[in-house]
Amino acid sequence: MNLTLDAYAHRDSPLHRWEPRCKLVALLVLLFAFAFVRDLRLLPAMLLVTAGLYAASRLPAALLLSRLRYPGMFLLLFALLVPLLVGSTILLKIGPLALYREGLLFLLLVATRFGAILTVSIVLFGTMPFLTSVRALRALGLPEILADMTLLAYRYLHELGRDLRMMQTAMRLRGFQGRAFSPRNLRMPAALVGSLLVRSYARSERVYQAMILRGYGHESACCASTLVPVTRPDLMALVGTLLVATGFVVGDVLLRTGALV
Amino acid sequence: MSTQPPQPTPAAEGAPGVAPHLLYVTGLSFAYPGRPGLLRDLHLTLQPGERVGVIGPNGAGKTTLFMLLCGVLTPDSGMIRLLERPVTPGTFHPEIGMVFQNPDDQLFCLSVWDDVAFGPQNLGLSRAEVAARVEAALTTTGVRHLAERPPQQLSGGEQRMVAIAGVLALHPRLVIYDEPSANLDIRSRRRLIQFLQASPETLLLASHDLELILEVCDRVLLLDAGQIVGDGRPYVVMGDAALMAAHGLERPATLL
Repeated sequence: MNLTLDAYAHRDSPLHRWEPRCKLVALLVLLFAFAFVRDLRLLPAMLLVTAGLYAASRLPAALLLSRLRYPGMFLLLFALLVPLLVGSTILLKIGPLALYREGLLFLLLVATRFGAILTVSIVLFGTMPFLTSVRALRALGLPEILADMTLLAYRYLHELGRDLRMMQTAMRLRGFQGRAFSPRNLRMPAALVGSLLVRSYARSERVYQAMILRGYGHESACCASTLVPVTRPDLMALVGTLLVATGFVVGDVLLRTGALV
Repeated sequence: MSTQPPQPTPAAEGAPGVAPHLLYVTGLSFAYPGRPGLLRDLHLTLQPGERVGVIGPNGAGKTTLFMLLCGVLTPDSGMIRLLERPVTPGTFHPEIGMVFQNPDDQLFCLSVWDDVAFGPQNLGLSRAEVAARVEAALTTTGVRHLAERPPQQLSGGEQRMVAIAGVLALHPRLVIYDEPSANLDIRSRRRLIQFLQASPETLLLASHDLELILEVCDRVLLLDAGQIVGDGRPYVVMGDAALMAAHGLERPATLL
Protein backbone atom coordinates (compact mmCIF):
# COMPACT_ATOMS: atom_id res chain seq x y z
CA MET A 1 0.00 0.00 0.00
CA ASN A 2 1.47 3.33 -1.06
CA LEU A 3 1.15 5.74 1.84
CA THR A 4 2.55 8.77 0.01
CA LEU A 5 0.04 11.58 -0.40
CA ASP A 6 2.10 13.93 -2.55
CA ALA A 7 3.72 11.70 -5.14
CA TYR A 8 2.42 13.98 -7.92
CA ALA A 9 2.99 17.29 -6.16
CA HIS A 10 5.76 18.12 -8.62
CA ARG A 11 3.40 18.29 -11.60
CA ASP A 12 2.11 21.49 -13.16
CA SER A 13 -1.58 22.44 -13.30
CA PRO A 14 -3.81 25.31 -12.19
CA LEU A 15 -4.41 23.45 -8.93
CA HIS A 16 -0.66 22.91 -8.41
CA ARG A 17 -0.02 26.61 -8.96
CA TRP A 18 -2.82 27.75 -6.64
CA GLU A 19 -1.40 29.41 -3.52
CA PRO A 20 -1.55 26.82 -0.70
CA ARG A 21 -3.48 28.85 1.87
CA CYS A 22 -6.11 29.91 -0.65
CA LYS A 23 -6.40 26.35 -1.90
CA LEU A 24 -6.78 24.99 1.64
CA VAL A 25 -9.49 27.45 2.61
CA ALA A 26 -11.37 27.07 -0.68
CA LEU A 27 -11.34 23.30 -0.88
CA LEU A 28 -11.96 22.72 2.83
CA VAL A 29 -15.04 24.96 2.62
CA LEU A 30 -16.13 23.03 -0.47
CA LEU A 31 -15.68 19.75 1.41
CA PHE A 32 -17.92 20.99 4.20
CA ALA A 33 -20.46 22.20 1.65
CA PHE A 34 -20.52 18.74 0.08
CA ALA A 35 -21.00 17.16 3.50
CA PHE A 36 -23.93 19.51 4.10
CA VAL A 37 -25.84 18.48 0.96
CA ARG A 38 -28.79 16.19 1.55
CA ASP A 39 -30.95 16.85 -1.52
CA LEU A 40 -30.39 14.29 -4.25
CA ARG A 41 -31.01 16.87 -6.98
CA LEU A 42 -27.67 18.48 -6.19
CA LEU A 43 -25.68 15.29 -6.66
CA PRO A 44 -25.10 15.72 -10.42
CA ALA A 45 -23.76 19.22 -9.82
CA MET A 46 -21.56 17.90 -7.05
CA LEU A 47 -20.16 15.25 -9.36
CA LEU A 48 -19.62 17.82 -12.09
CA VAL A 49 -17.67 20.15 -9.81
CA THR A 50 -15.62 17.26 -8.45
CA ALA A 51 -14.81 15.93 -11.91
CA GLY A 52 -13.88 19.41 -13.07
CA LEU A 53 -11.51 19.90 -10.15
CA TYR A 54 -9.86 16.54 -10.68
CA ALA A 55 -9.46 17.19 -14.40
CA ALA A 56 -7.93 20.60 -13.67
CA SER A 57 -5.45 19.01 -11.24
CA ARG A 58 -4.09 16.72 -14.00
CA LEU A 59 -3.63 13.96 -11.45
CA PRO A 60 -3.73 10.49 -12.97
CA ALA A 61 -6.96 8.52 -12.78
CA ALA A 62 -5.00 5.57 -11.41
CA LEU A 63 -4.18 7.61 -8.32
CA LEU A 64 -7.86 8.23 -7.62
CA LEU A 65 -8.74 4.59 -8.13
CA SER A 66 -5.96 3.39 -5.86
CA ARG A 67 -6.90 5.82 -3.11
CA LEU A 68 -10.59 4.90 -3.34
CA ARG A 69 -9.89 1.19 -3.08
CA TYR A 70 -9.60 0.73 0.68
CA PRO A 71 -12.17 3.34 1.77
CA GLY A 72 -14.40 1.81 -0.90
CA MET A 73 -14.36 -1.46 1.01
CA PHE A 74 -16.01 0.24 3.98
CA LEU A 75 -18.53 1.81 1.65
CA LEU A 76 -19.23 -1.61 0.18
CA LEU A 77 -20.18 -2.93 3.59
CA PHE A 78 -22.45 0.06 4.02
CA ALA A 79 -23.92 -0.54 0.57
CA LEU A 80 -24.74 -4.12 1.39
CA LEU A 81 -26.65 -3.31 4.56
CA VAL A 82 -28.40 0.04 4.21
CA PRO A 83 -30.76 -0.74 1.30
CA LEU A 84 -31.87 -3.84 3.15
CA LEU A 85 -32.45 -2.20 6.49
CA VAL A 86 -33.44 1.44 5.92
CA GLY A 87 -36.82 2.56 4.58
CA SER A 88 -40.41 1.52 4.17
CA THR A 89 -41.10 1.47 0.41
CA ILE A 90 -40.21 -1.98 -0.87
CA LEU A 91 -38.77 -2.13 -4.38
CA LEU A 92 -37.91 -5.79 -4.44
CA LYS A 93 -38.51 -8.66 -2.10
CA ILE A 94 -36.59 -11.93 -2.15
CA GLY A 95 -37.65 -14.23 0.60
CA PRO A 96 -37.10 -12.50 3.93
CA LEU A 97 -34.91 -9.81 2.34
CA ALA A 98 -36.47 -6.59 1.10
CA LEU A 99 -34.79 -3.85 -0.91
CA TYR A 100 -36.06 -0.44 0.20
CA ARG A 101 -36.29 2.65 -2.01
CA GLU A 102 -35.32 5.01 0.82
CA GLY A 103 -32.31 2.87 1.62
CA LEU A 104 -31.13 2.94 -1.96
CA LEU A 105 -31.55 6.69 -2.21
CA PHE A 106 -29.73 7.17 1.09
CA LEU A 107 -26.94 4.94 -0.18
CA LEU A 108 -26.76 7.03 -3.36
CA LEU A 109 -26.47 10.22 -1.31
CA VAL A 110 -23.80 8.83 1.03
CA ALA A 111 -21.78 7.20 -1.75
CA THR A 112 -21.79 10.33 -3.91
CA ARG A 113 -20.84 12.59 -1.01
CA PHE A 114 -18.17 10.14 0.07
CA GLY A 115 -16.66 9.92 -3.41
CA ALA A 116 -16.79 13.67 -3.97
CA ILE A 117 -15.24 14.50 -0.58
CA LEU A 118 -12.49 11.92 -0.99
CA THR A 119 -11.71 13.11 -4.52
CA VAL A 120 -11.50 16.77 -3.50
CA SER A 121 -9.26 15.74 -0.58
CA ILE A 122 -6.95 13.94 -2.98
CA VAL A 123 -6.84 17.06 -5.14
CA LEU A 124 -6.14 19.22 -2.10
CA PHE A 125 -3.27 17.17 -0.67
CA GLY A 126 -2.05 15.62 -3.91
CA THR A 127 -1.22 18.89 -5.63
CA MET A 128 1.26 20.21 -3.07
CA PRO A 129 4.00 18.66 -0.94
CA PHE A 130 2.70 17.48 2.42
CA LEU A 131 5.10 19.76 4.23
CA THR A 132 3.64 22.73 2.34
CA SER A 133 0.15 21.64 3.34
CA VAL A 134 1.12 21.58 7.00
CA ARG A 135 2.92 24.94 6.72
CA ALA A 136 -0.18 26.43 5.13
CA LEU A 137 -2.33 25.01 7.93
CA ARG A 138 0.12 26.42 10.44
CA ALA A 139 -0.08 29.82 8.72
CA LEU A 140 -3.87 29.64 8.96
CA GLY A 141 -3.70 29.05 12.71
CA LEU A 142 -3.15 25.34 13.32
CA PRO A 143 -1.39 25.05 16.71
CA GLU A 144 2.32 24.29 16.41
CA ILE A 145 2.13 21.09 18.38
CA LEU A 146 -0.62 19.73 16.14
CA ALA A 147 1.44 20.64 13.08
CA ASP A 148 4.47 18.84 14.55
CA MET A 149 2.40 15.78 15.43
CA THR A 150 0.95 15.68 11.93
CA LEU A 151 4.37 15.86 10.32
CA LEU A 152 5.81 13.22 12.61
CA ALA A 153 2.86 10.91 12.03
CA TYR A 154 3.27 11.28 8.26
CA ARG A 155 7.03 10.82 8.46
CA TYR A 156 6.80 7.60 10.42
CA LEU A 157 3.77 6.22 8.59
CA HIS A 158 6.21 4.96 5.98
CA GLU A 159 8.26 3.23 8.65
CA LEU A 160 5.14 1.59 10.02
CA GLY A 161 4.24 0.43 6.54
CA ARG A 162 7.72 -0.97 6.02
CA ASP A 163 7.73 -2.73 9.38
CA LEU A 164 4.33 -4.20 8.60
CA ARG A 165 5.53 -5.55 5.24
CA MET A 166 8.67 -7.02 6.82
CA MET A 167 6.70 -8.76 9.53
CA GLN A 168 4.18 -10.10 7.05
CA THR A 169 7.03 -11.45 4.92
CA ALA A 170 8.57 -13.08 7.98
CA MET A 171 5.25 -14.72 8.80
CA ARG A 172 4.87 -16.02 5.25
CA LEU A 173 8.43 -17.36 5.25
CA ARG A 174 7.48 -19.44 8.25
CA GLY A 175 4.46 -20.86 6.53
CA PHE A 176 1.65 -18.61 7.68
CA GLN A 177 -1.02 -18.34 5.00
CA GLY A 178 -3.83 -16.74 6.92
CA ARG A 179 -6.47 -17.31 4.28
CA ALA A 180 -8.79 -19.66 6.16
CA PHE A 181 -11.14 -18.18 8.72
CA SER A 182 -9.94 -19.61 12.02
CA PRO A 183 -9.18 -18.33 15.52
CA ARG A 184 -5.44 -18.68 14.85
CA ASN A 185 -5.66 -16.76 11.60
CA LEU A 186 -7.41 -13.96 13.46
CA ARG A 187 -4.98 -14.08 16.40
CA MET A 188 -1.84 -13.74 14.28
CA PRO A 189 -2.75 -10.46 12.55
CA ALA A 190 -3.93 -9.15 15.91
CA ALA A 191 -0.56 -10.04 17.44
CA LEU A 192 1.16 -8.37 14.50
CA VAL A 193 -0.80 -5.16 15.04
CA GLY A 194 -0.10 -5.27 18.76
CA SER A 195 3.59 -5.75 18.09
CA LEU A 196 3.58 -2.79 15.71
CA LEU A 197 1.93 -0.63 18.35
CA VAL A 198 4.53 -1.56 20.96
CA ARG A 199 7.38 -0.92 18.52
CA SER A 200 5.83 2.40 17.53
CA TYR A 201 5.60 3.47 21.14
CA ALA A 202 9.25 2.57 21.79
CA ARG A 203 10.29 4.38 18.62
CA SER A 204 8.26 7.46 19.57
CA GLU A 205 10.18 7.63 22.86
CA ARG A 206 13.51 7.50 21.04
CA VAL A 207 12.41 10.08 18.47
CA TYR A 208 11.24 12.39 21.23
CA GLN A 209 14.61 12.04 22.97
CA ALA A 210 16.35 12.89 19.70
CA MET A 211 14.14 15.96 19.29
CA ILE A 212 14.81 17.10 22.84
CA LEU A 213 18.53 16.68 22.33
CA ARG A 214 18.33 19.08 19.40
CA GLY A 215 16.40 21.68 21.33
CA TYR A 216 12.76 20.92 20.61
CA GLY A 217 10.63 23.09 22.87
CA HIS A 218 13.60 25.25 23.80
CA GLU A 219 12.85 28.02 21.34
CA SER A 220 10.12 28.54 18.77
CA ALA A 221 11.43 27.16 15.53
CA CYS A 222 11.97 29.79 12.87
CA CYS A 223 8.94 29.30 10.68
CA ALA A 224 8.66 32.57 8.87
CA SER A 225 6.53 31.75 5.90
CA THR A 226 8.19 30.10 2.97
CA LEU A 227 4.87 30.14 1.15
CA VAL A 228 4.54 32.06 -2.10
CA PRO A 229 2.71 35.40 -1.99
CA VAL A 230 -1.00 35.43 -2.81
CA THR A 231 -1.82 36.79 -6.27
CA ARG A 232 -5.02 38.07 -7.85
CA PRO A 233 -5.75 34.79 -9.70
CA ASP A 234 -5.35 32.92 -6.40
CA LEU A 235 -7.89 35.18 -4.72
CA MET A 236 -10.27 34.97 -7.65
CA ALA A 237 -10.14 31.18 -7.56
CA LEU A 238 -10.72 31.30 -3.81
CA VAL A 239 -13.74 33.57 -4.15
CA GLY A 240 -15.11 31.50 -7.02
CA THR A 241 -14.83 28.26 -5.05
CA LEU A 242 -16.40 29.84 -1.98
CA LEU A 243 -19.30 31.01 -4.14
CA VAL A 244 -19.77 27.48 -5.49
CA ALA A 245 -19.68 26.07 -1.97
CA THR A 246 -22.19 28.67 -0.81
CA GLY A 247 -24.36 27.80 -3.79
CA PHE A 248 -24.49 24.17 -2.71
CA VAL A 249 -25.43 25.04 0.87
CA VAL A 250 -28.06 27.62 -0.10
CA GLY A 251 -29.38 25.44 -2.88
CA ASP A 252 -29.75 22.51 -0.55
CA VAL A 253 -31.64 24.58 2.00
CA LEU A 254 -33.96 26.07 -0.63
CA LEU A 255 -34.63 22.72 -2.29
CA ARG A 256 -35.42 20.97 0.95
CA THR A 257 -37.70 23.75 2.17
CA GLY A 258 -39.49 23.80 -1.16
CA ALA A 259 -38.58 27.40 -1.91
CA LEU A 260 -36.79 26.25 -5.01
CA VAL A 261 -38.35 23.56 -7.19
CA MET B 1 50.26 2.58 30.24
CA SER B 2 47.71 2.04 32.98
CA THR B 3 44.56 0.09 32.27
CA GLN B 4 43.00 1.12 35.58
CA PRO B 5 40.76 4.18 35.48
CA PRO B 6 42.26 7.22 37.20
CA GLN B 7 39.93 8.68 39.79
CA PRO B 8 39.31 12.38 39.26
CA THR B 9 39.91 14.42 42.38
CA PRO B 10 37.02 16.77 43.03
CA ALA B 11 39.37 19.21 44.67
CA ALA B 12 41.34 19.57 41.45
CA GLU B 13 38.30 20.54 39.41
CA GLY B 14 38.29 24.31 39.03
CA ALA B 15 41.46 24.78 41.05
CA PRO B 16 43.92 27.49 39.86
CA GLY B 17 46.47 26.17 37.41
CA VAL B 18 44.36 23.10 36.64
CA ALA B 19 43.23 22.88 33.01
CA PRO B 20 39.44 22.74 32.95
CA HIS B 21 37.92 19.47 31.83
CA LEU B 22 35.47 19.47 28.93
CA LEU B 23 33.44 16.85 30.76
CA TYR B 24 33.65 16.02 34.43
CA VAL B 25 31.65 13.19 35.95
CA THR B 26 31.88 12.02 39.52
CA GLY B 27 29.93 9.55 41.61
CA LEU B 28 27.47 8.81 38.83
CA SER B 29 24.92 6.12 39.66
CA PHE B 30 21.78 5.11 37.87
CA ALA B 31 19.26 2.29 37.89
CA TYR B 32 16.12 1.82 35.83
CA PRO B 33 12.99 1.48 37.99
CA GLY B 34 12.57 -2.00 39.33
CA ARG B 35 15.96 -3.18 38.03
CA PRO B 36 19.38 -3.56 39.66
CA GLY B 37 21.83 -0.66 39.51
CA LEU B 38 23.23 -0.23 36.00
CA LEU B 39 25.88 2.40 36.68
CA ARG B 40 27.54 2.55 40.04
CA ASP B 41 29.67 5.41 41.36
CA LEU B 42 31.19 6.12 37.98
CA HIS B 43 33.95 8.70 37.52
CA LEU B 44 35.05 10.11 34.20
CA THR B 45 36.81 13.14 32.74
CA LEU B 46 37.27 14.23 29.16
CA GLN B 47 39.70 16.82 27.91
CA PRO B 48 39.03 19.00 24.86
CA GLY B 49 40.11 17.29 21.69
CA GLU B 50 40.15 13.77 23.10
CA ARG B 51 38.75 10.89 21.13
CA VAL B 52 37.48 8.37 23.60
CA GLY B 53 36.09 4.96 22.74
CA VAL B 54 33.72 3.17 25.11
CA ILE B 55 33.64 -0.60 24.86
CA GLY B 56 31.88 -3.22 26.88
CA PRO B 57 29.49 -6.15 26.63
CA ASN B 58 25.80 -5.70 25.79
CA GLY B 59 23.93 -4.33 28.76
CA ALA B 60 27.01 -2.71 30.28
CA GLY B 61 25.28 0.68 30.29
CA LYS B 62 27.00 2.49 27.42
CA THR B 63 23.84 3.98 25.91
CA THR B 64 22.47 4.75 29.37
CA LEU B 65 25.70 6.57 30.23
CA PHE B 66 25.37 8.66 27.09
CA MET B 67 21.76 9.51 27.86
CA LEU B 68 22.84 10.66 31.32
CA LEU B 69 25.65 12.79 29.92
CA CYS B 70 23.21 14.48 27.53
CA GLY B 71 20.72 15.19 30.29
CA VAL B 72 17.99 12.96 28.86
CA LEU B 73 18.02 10.73 31.96
CA THR B 74 18.30 11.91 35.55
CA PRO B 75 21.05 10.21 37.59
CA ASP B 76 20.22 8.71 40.94
CA SER B 77 23.35 10.33 42.32
CA GLY B 78 26.49 12.03 41.16
CA MET B 79 27.46 15.10 39.22
CA ILE B 80 27.98 15.82 35.55
CA ARG B 81 29.64 19.05 34.48
CA LEU B 82 30.10 20.12 30.89
CA LEU B 83 32.38 23.13 30.24
CA GLU B 84 32.31 23.98 33.96
CA ARG B 85 28.53 24.05 34.07
CA PRO B 86 26.30 21.34 35.51
CA VAL B 87 24.29 19.28 33.06
CA THR B 88 20.71 19.74 34.18
CA PRO B 89 18.42 16.89 33.17
CA GLY B 90 15.65 18.06 30.85
CA THR B 91 17.55 21.18 29.78
CA PHE B 92 18.82 21.71 26.27
CA HIS B 93 22.62 21.60 26.02
CA PRO B 94 23.69 22.39 22.45
CA GLU B 95 27.34 21.90 23.46
CA ILE B 96 26.79 18.17 23.55
CA GLY B 97 25.37 16.26 20.61
CA MET B 98 24.50 12.61 20.24
CA VAL B 99 24.25 10.46 17.15
CA PHE B 100 21.91 7.56 17.86
CA GLN B 101 22.58 3.96 16.97
CA ASN B 102 19.58 3.92 14.66
CA PRO B 103 19.71 7.13 12.59
CA ASP B 104 16.10 6.61 11.60
CA ASP B 105 15.12 7.58 15.15
CA GLN B 106 16.61 11.02 14.73
CA LEU B 107 15.65 11.83 11.15
CA PHE B 108 12.11 12.98 11.82
CA CYS B 109 11.59 15.73 9.24
CA LEU B 110 10.32 15.28 5.72
CA SER B 111 13.51 16.34 3.99
CA VAL B 112 17.21 16.18 4.77
CA TRP B 113 17.52 19.96 4.68
CA ASP B 114 14.68 20.46 7.13
CA ASP B 115 16.10 17.82 9.45
CA VAL B 116 19.54 19.39 9.60
CA ALA B 117 17.96 22.83 10.04
CA PHE B 118 15.87 21.61 12.98
CA GLY B 119 18.56 22.09 15.61
CA PRO B 120 19.79 25.57 14.52
CA GLN B 121 16.17 26.75 14.30
CA ASN B 122 15.71 25.76 17.94
CA LEU B 123 18.67 27.99 18.81
CA GLY B 124 16.65 30.99 17.62
CA LEU B 125 19.10 31.81 14.83
CA SER B 126 18.15 33.94 11.85
CA ARG B 127 17.12 32.32 8.60
CA ALA B 128 20.48 33.21 7.02
CA GLU B 129 22.44 31.76 9.93
CA VAL B 130 20.40 28.57 9.86
CA ALA B 131 20.97 28.20 6.13
CA ALA B 132 24.70 28.79 6.54
CA ARG B 133 24.95 26.15 9.27
CA VAL B 134 22.95 23.64 7.28
CA GLU B 135 25.08 24.18 4.19
CA ALA B 136 28.27 23.78 6.18
CA ALA B 137 27.07 20.64 7.96
CA LEU B 138 25.84 18.99 4.76
CA THR B 139 29.08 19.83 2.97
CA THR B 140 31.26 18.59 5.81
CA THR B 141 29.45 15.25 5.88
CA GLY B 142 29.39 14.97 2.09
CA VAL B 143 25.60 14.77 1.75
CA ARG B 144 24.81 18.16 0.23
CA HIS B 145 23.38 16.40 -2.84
CA LEU B 146 20.75 14.73 -0.64
CA ALA B 147 19.31 17.97 0.75
CA GLU B 148 15.90 17.68 -0.88
CA ARG B 149 15.47 13.93 -0.36
CA PRO B 150 13.13 12.40 2.23
CA PRO B 151 15.14 10.58 4.90
CA GLN B 152 13.27 7.30 4.49
CA GLN B 153 14.58 7.02 0.93
CA LEU B 154 18.23 7.13 1.97
CA SER B 155 20.55 4.20 2.40
CA GLY B 156 21.87 3.29 5.85
CA GLY B 157 25.17 5.03 5.26
CA GLU B 158 23.50 8.16 3.92
CA GLN B 159 21.13 8.27 6.88
CA ARG B 160 24.06 7.98 9.24
CA MET B 161 25.86 10.94 7.68
CA VAL B 162 22.68 13.04 7.59
CA ALA B 163 22.13 12.29 11.29
CA ILE B 164 25.70 13.42 11.97
CA ALA B 165 25.09 16.58 9.95
CA GLY B 166 22.02 17.31 12.03
CA VAL B 167 24.09 17.15 15.20
CA LEU B 168 27.07 19.09 13.78
CA ALA B 169 24.80 21.94 12.72
CA LEU B 170 24.46 22.76 16.42
CA HIS B 171 28.25 23.29 16.65
CA PRO B 172 28.67 20.97 19.64
CA ARG B 173 31.90 20.78 21.64
CA LEU B 174 31.39 17.12 22.42
CA VAL B 175 29.83 14.62 20.02
CA ILE B 176 28.70 11.24 21.26
CA TYR B 177 28.37 8.39 18.80
CA ASP B 178 26.40 5.29 19.77
CA GLU B 179 27.48 2.37 17.59
CA PRO B 180 28.19 4.57 14.55
CA SER B 181 29.25 1.73 12.25
CA ALA B 182 26.25 -0.50 12.98
CA ASN B 183 24.64 -1.77 9.74
CA LEU B 184 27.12 0.03 7.49
CA ASP B 185 28.68 -1.61 4.47
CA ILE B 186 32.46 -1.62 4.04
CA ARG B 187 32.59 1.53 1.94
CA SER B 188 30.28 3.51 4.21
CA ARG B 189 32.22 2.32 7.23
CA ARG B 190 35.51 3.46 5.73
CA ARG B 191 33.99 6.82 4.85
CA LEU B 192 32.76 7.15 8.44
CA ILE B 193 36.18 6.31 9.86
CA GLN B 194 37.84 8.91 7.65
CA PHE B 195 35.25 11.44 8.71
CA LEU B 196 35.75 10.71 12.41
CA GLN B 197 39.52 10.86 12.06
CA ALA B 198 39.21 14.35 10.56
CA SER B 199 36.63 15.61 13.09
CA PRO B 200 37.85 18.53 15.20
CA GLU B 201 35.28 17.95 17.96
CA THR B 202 35.86 15.99 21.13
CA LEU B 203 34.47 12.51 20.54
CA LEU B 204 32.94 9.92 22.81
CA LEU B 205 32.20 6.81 20.84
CA ALA B 206 30.64 3.48 21.84
CA SER B 207 31.16 0.59 19.49
CA HIS B 208 31.47 -3.16 19.23
CA ASP B 209 33.60 -2.47 16.15
CA LEU B 210 36.92 -2.62 17.96
CA GLU B 211 38.92 -2.04 14.78
CA LEU B 212 37.10 1.27 14.35
CA ILE B 213 37.98 2.20 17.92
CA LEU B 214 41.64 1.42 17.19
CA GLU B 215 41.65 3.61 14.10
CA VAL B 216 39.77 6.57 15.52
CA CYS B 217 40.33 6.80 19.27
CA ASP B 218 43.31 7.74 21.37
CA ARG B 219 41.80 6.54 24.63
CA VAL B 220 39.50 3.68 25.53
CA LEU B 221 37.18 3.08 28.47
CA LEU B 222 36.09 -0.46 29.22
CA LEU B 223 32.68 -0.40 30.88
CA ASP B 224 31.20 -3.41 32.58
CA ALA B 225 28.89 -4.05 35.51
CA GLY B 226 28.32 -0.35 35.95
CA GLN B 227 31.97 0.49 36.41
CA ILE B 228 34.85 1.67 34.25
CA VAL B 229 37.24 -1.24 34.61
CA GLY B 230 39.78 -0.12 32.05
CA ASP B 231 41.02 3.28 30.93
CA GLY B 232 43.99 3.90 28.70
CA ARG B 233 45.46 3.73 25.24
CA PRO B 234 43.41 1.52 22.88
CA TYR B 235 46.22 -0.93 22.14
CA VAL B 236 46.93 -1.26 25.86
CA VAL B 237 43.36 -1.80 27.06
CA MET B 238 42.19 -3.85 24.10
CA GLY B 239 45.51 -5.67 23.86
CA ASP B 240 45.12 -7.01 27.39
CA ALA B 241 43.65 -10.43 26.57
CA ALA B 242 42.89 -11.31 30.17
CA LEU B 243 41.12 -8.02 30.81
CA MET B 244 39.08 -8.29 27.65
CA ALA B 245 38.13 -11.92 28.28
CA ALA B 246 37.16 -11.16 31.86
CA HIS B 247 34.57 -8.71 30.56
CA GLY B 248 33.10 -10.73 27.72
CA LEU B 249 35.21 -9.24 24.95
CA GLU B 250 37.97 -10.36 22.62
CA ARG B 251 41.06 -8.60 21.42
CA PRO B 252 40.61 -7.09 17.95
CA ALA B 253 42.24 -9.03 15.14
CA THR B 254 44.83 -6.29 14.64
CA LEU B 255 46.17 -6.85 18.15
CA LEU B 256 46.30 -10.65 18.04
